[in-house]
Amino acid sequence: MLTFGFWEPVIILAAINVILICGLYIIALSGAYSMATAAFAGVGGYISAVLTANLDWPFVPALAAAGLGGAVLGCIVAIVTLRMKDFVLKITTLAVGEALSIAAFNIKYIGGANGFSGIPLYTTMTAVLLVAAASIFIAWRVDKSGLGLGARAIRDDLVAAASTGVSLRAVRVVTFGIGSALISIGGALSAHYVLIISPSQLGFLYSLNYIVFLLAGGVQTLWGPVLTTILLSGIPELLRFANEYRLIAYGLIIVAVVMWRPNGLITRSRKPV
Amino acid sequence: MSLLLKVSDLSVAYGSVPAVIDASLEMNPGEIRVILGANGAGKSTIIKTLLGLVRARTGRIEFDGKHDLTRLKPHQIHRLGIAWVPEGRKLWGSLTVLENLRMGGFIETDNGKIEKGIAEMFERFPRLKERRDQLAGSLSGGEQQMVAIARALMSKPRLLLMDEPSIGLAPIVVRDIFELVRTINHDGISVLMVEQNARQALTLAHWAYLLETGQIVEAGPASEIATKERVQEVFLGGAA
Amino acid sequence: MDTFLQQVMNGVVIGSTYAVVAVGFSLVFTVLRVVNFAHPDIFMLGMFAGLWSALHVSDNLIFVLVAGAVGAGLSGVVLERVVIRPLQGRDMLITLLATLGVSIILQNGMAIVAGPDPVPYPAIIPQTFIPLGPVSLTVRQLVNFVACAVLLMAASYYVRGTKYGRATRAVAELPEVAAAFGVDVSLISLVTVVLASMMAGVAGVSVGLLYGSAWAFVGLLYGLKALIILLVAGNRYFEGVVLVAIVLGVIEALITGYVSSGMRDVVTFLLLIGVLCFRPNGIFGSYKT
Repeated sequence: MLTFGFWEPVIILAAINVILICGLYIIALSGAYSMATAAFAGVGGYISAVLTANLDWPFVPALAAAGLGGAVLGCIVAIVTLRMKDFVLKITTLAVGEALSIAAFNIKYIGGANGFSGIPLYTTMTAVLLVAAASIFIAWRVDKSGLGLGARAIRDDLVAAASTGVSLRAVRVVTFGIGSALISIGGALSAHYVLIISPSQLGFLYSLNYIVFLLAGGVQTLWGPVLTTILLSGIPELLRFANEYRLIAYGLIIVAVVMWRPNGLITRSRKPV
Repeated sequence: MSLLLKVSDLSVAYGSVPAVIDASLEMNPGEIRVILGANGAGKSTIIKTLLGLVRARTGRIEFDGKHDLTRLKPHQIHRLGIAWVPEGRKLWGSLTVLENLRMGGFIETDNGKIEKGIAEMFERFPRLKERRDQLAGSLSGGEQQMVAIARALMSKPRLLLMDEPSIGLAPIVVRDIFELVRTINHDGISVLMVEQNARQALTLAHWAYLLETGQIVEAGPASEIATKERVQEVFLGGAA
Repeated sequence: MDTFLQQVMNGVVIGSTYAVVAVGFSLVFTVLRVVNFAHPDIFMLGMFAGLWSALHVSDNLIFVLVAGAVGAGLSGVVLERVVIRPLQGRDMLITLLATLGVSIILQNGMAIVAGPDPVPYPAIIPQTFIPLGPVSLTVRQLVNFVACAVLLMAASYYVRGTKYGRATRAVAELPEVAAAFGVDVSLISLVTVVLASMMAGVAGVSVGLLYGSAWAFVGLLYGLKALIILLVAGNRYFEGVVLVAIVLGVIEALITGYVSSGMRDVVTFLLLIGVLCFRPNGIFGSYKT
C-alpha cells in the first residue's frame, strides 16, 4: 500500500479531478453551476481520442483541439441559457449533459455503447501535474480579475450587477468558454490514461461528483473545492472493497454534506449565509 | 378590565440589523390605536412580530392578560382572535374573491357559520359580491383592500392588525376605508394600525405612537400627538 | 395509419403514468418549493410494497394498490420529516442534492434487498387484448390508465374543491399569509408530500402490473422525465402538466415506433432545451416561485 505504484493512479486521478474542478469553479463564479461537467470532460476525451487514434494527431495539438471543442460547446451552452433563471439553468445543463451522454451511446463512429478503446497512452504524471498547476493558476487569476468580480456580482445579485454595467452575456460566455476548455482538456488527459472512454462516464451521476466537490469545498473560495477534491479523490480507491454498499455510502455522504455543511467546508469569512 | 394587548421592551433584528428597539405599547379593548412612522421606521416589523411571523430578540407580548405571543406560532396566534390586514393587501391572487374570504374563515369548522359570515361580508361590501368569482388579483386597489379587510373579519377577531391600509389608494378611497374602520370598531373590534398617512389616522384613532428608527419616541392621545412638532413637520406638512 | 393510432394509444397510457408522477412532483415543488428527486423512488417503493403484499398477503387488485399507496405514503412521511423539513427555506439546489442522495440510497438499498435486476410481478391482471376498432388495448393498459386517471381527478378535486386543497393553494402562493390565517403550514406540507407519495405509490403498483416486473432502478426512468415535464409545462396549471406528460408519452411512443428507441430520450432533452430557450418559465407559465 505504501509503494509508489499504488499511489500513482490515485495522484493522477486526483490531479485530473482538480483540473475539472477548476474549470467548474470558473463556470460557477457567475452562479451557473454546470451539471454537465462529466459530459464535457467526456466530449474532450472523445475528441482527443479520435484525433490521436484515428487521425494520428500528436498529443499536444489533440489536447488543444479538445480544449477548443469544449470551449465552443461551453459558449453555446452559455448563450442558450442566458435568459434562464438560476435553477432552470442548472437543469438545462443537466439535460445537455444527458443528451451528450445518450448521443455518445448512439454514435457508432466513436464506438457507441462499447465506448472508444485503443487510445494511446500519452498522459504522464508530470504532464497531469503541470496542467493541474496551470489550471489552479488560471482559476485563481480569473477569480481575482475583473471578470471574476463581475461574475460574482452576477451571482450575488443579477439586477444590481447589470446596473453597474456588467454584461451578463460577456461574463457567461467567457467563463463558460474558459471553464469548459479546462474541463475538456482534463477529460482528454483522463482518456489518454485510462485508454478507454465509455459513454456512461458522461452521465449525470459522474457530473454530480464534481458538484459535490464544489459545494462541499465551499463555492466562495478556490482552495476549498481544490482541497476537497484532492481529499475525496482518494476515497473511492480506498472504498473499492465495499463495492455494493459503496453507492449507498456515497448517497449518505451527499446527504450528510448537504444537510450539515451546505455552505461547504471552507467559506469566505464575513459573508452572511 | 385587563389590557387586550401589552407589549413590553420588544426588540427585533434582522440578522445584525436592528429593526425595533425596546418598544413598549398597550391596548385596551375597544380602542383604535395607531403607530405612525416613516418608511423603514420598523412599523411593519412590529406587526409581523405580533403575528409570530418574525421572532423577537427580547421582550414580551401579552394578549388578553394570559398568552405570551412571542412563544406562539402564527396559526396559533390567529386562533386567539388576532387577524391581519397586510401591507399591500397580500391577497391570494390565484384564488377567487370568494375563496379568499373562505380562507379568512379557515379556522371556523362549522360550514353554516362560514356561509353566514360570507353573506354578512357581501352585505357589507356589495361590490365584492358582484366580483365573487373573479380572481382576486384582477381587482382594483380599493377593491382589494376591501377584500383584505373582509378576509380578516371572517374569523370574527377581537384585534385587527392593519398595516398601512391607505397605501397606494386614492384619497377618496382612503376616506371610505377609514370610515369602515370606524364602523368595525363600533362593532367591538379593537384595531391596531400602522400608518404613514398621519392626518386621517389621527382623526380616527384614540391613541397614537410615533416610531422613529425602531424606537417609540412619542406616545399619547391622538389629539395630543397631532400637535407635536415632529409629527407636524414630518407628516402634516408643517402647518397645523 | 393503424400503427400510428396504436402508438398514440400506447403513448397515452404511458403518458398517464408520467402525468401522475409529474403532478405529485409538481405539487411538492409548488407548495414546498422543493425539488424532491426521491419522488420517483417513492414510486418504486410503492411498486415493491404492492409486490410483497401480493406475494405474502393477498393478491386482490384493490388490496395491492392500497398497499402500494400505504407503503409509499409512509416513505413520504419519513422523507418529509427527516430530510425535507430541516432543509426548508434553503436554496433549491440543496434540497435537490439531498433528495438525490436519498434517491441513490433507496435505489441501491433496494437493489441489495431485491437484486439489481427486474423482479417478476404476480400476474393479477390477465394479458388479454381488447380490440377497439383499428387499435387494441390490453386489460393491463386499461387498468393502468384508469388508475392514473382516477388519481389525477382525485388530485384535481382535492386541490380545487376542498378546504384543505384551497389552503394548500394558499400556502403555495403566500405561505406567511396562510399561516397568519390559521393554516398550519408545516402540516399542509406534510399532507402534500404524503398525498403526492400515495399517488406515486398507486401508479408504481399499476406500472408493475402493466409490465409484469418490479425494478429497483425504475425511478431512473421517471425521475428526470418528471422534472422535464414540470419545467416544460410550468407549474402554474395542473392541467398543463398533465397535458405535457401525455404529449411526451405519445411523442416517445411514436419515436420508438418509427425511429429508434435509442434516440427517444435525446429528443426529450432537446425538446426541453428548446422550450426553455423561448419560454424559460414553461409553456403555461410558472407560479411565481
